[in-house]
Amino acid sequence: MELQPMYVQILALVLFAIGLTVAIARRNLFFVLMGVELALNAVNLSFVGFAKTLPAEASVVGQIVPLFSIAVAAAEACVGFAMVIMIFRNKESVDADSYSDMKG
Amino acid sequence: MLALVYFIILGVIAVGAALCVLLSRHPLYGALSLIVSMVSLAGIYGLVGSPFLGVVQVMVYAGAIMMLVTFVIMVLNGARDKRTPMFDGVSLFVIPAVIVLAGLVGFALVRAPLAFDTATLPGSVKLTSETLFDMAATGPGYFLLFEIIGVLLLSAMVAAIFLAKKHLGSVVAENKEESH
Repeated sequence: MELQPMYVQILALVLFAIGLTVAIARRNLFFVLMGVELALNAVNLSFVGFAKTLPAEASVVGQIVPLFSIAVAAAEACVGFAMVIMIFRNKESVDADSYSDMKG
Repeated sequence: MLALVYFIILGVIAVGAALCVLLSRHPLYGALSLIVSMVSLAGIYGLVGSPFLGVVQVMVYAGAIMMLVTFVIMVLNGARDKRTPMFDGVSLFVIPAVIVLAGLVGFALVRAPLAFDTATLPGSVKLTSETLFDMAATGPGYFLLFEIIGVLLLSAMVAAIFLAKKHLGSVVAENKEESH
């Protein structure tokens, strides 16, 4: 028994499914954002797992792209939590359903 | 063989911590579980041969992003409110849908022929930096993306400061009053 690329992909799939569930099913805004982070992590893992099945020159690409993905996730978390702070000041609630009447 | 044992240990920790995120009540416990999940994912990156990506994962994800998350949770007192239920009726439909989706993707995945390429290059610091900053005209041009990422992070930071500020322009007005 050796480590197969399929095991990495299955782990990434399980983590992505859990992250998607957290993002959609939980009602607390913090958990929604954390679920998105978890799903992004799973996608990075999938990238690296597939990169290792490619020949030498092509496998470098799959290890560069997750770096940019991590940087974009940092920007997303930054703006996302600033928005949480802003709308928390208006409503004093972290329930995602209480923001369903936003317009504009 | 040893790699598989390490992979199973780290994978079980990652999935268990992710389940803790799903089931924990307080956002701070969820954030700490998420850090555990990310650190074990960094171990898996090192295991499959991308040590630089693992280091970046620990520094940026588990270090910087999750520090921001825990900081926001601690600053906002109302992050823990007992009135908001964890799940609602919609969750009853979401969870089976996600399970079915994962089953379909997994079914398609296990039928695909995948094998590790023995000639693959480990993502060391030297290789990653040489590829990332390859400025030759025939090169991949990742350094342009790198510059754009810098501008994106700067603009995100400015946007976050403006969004989280209480009253726009109030600091300028106060400074003017003080100088008189």
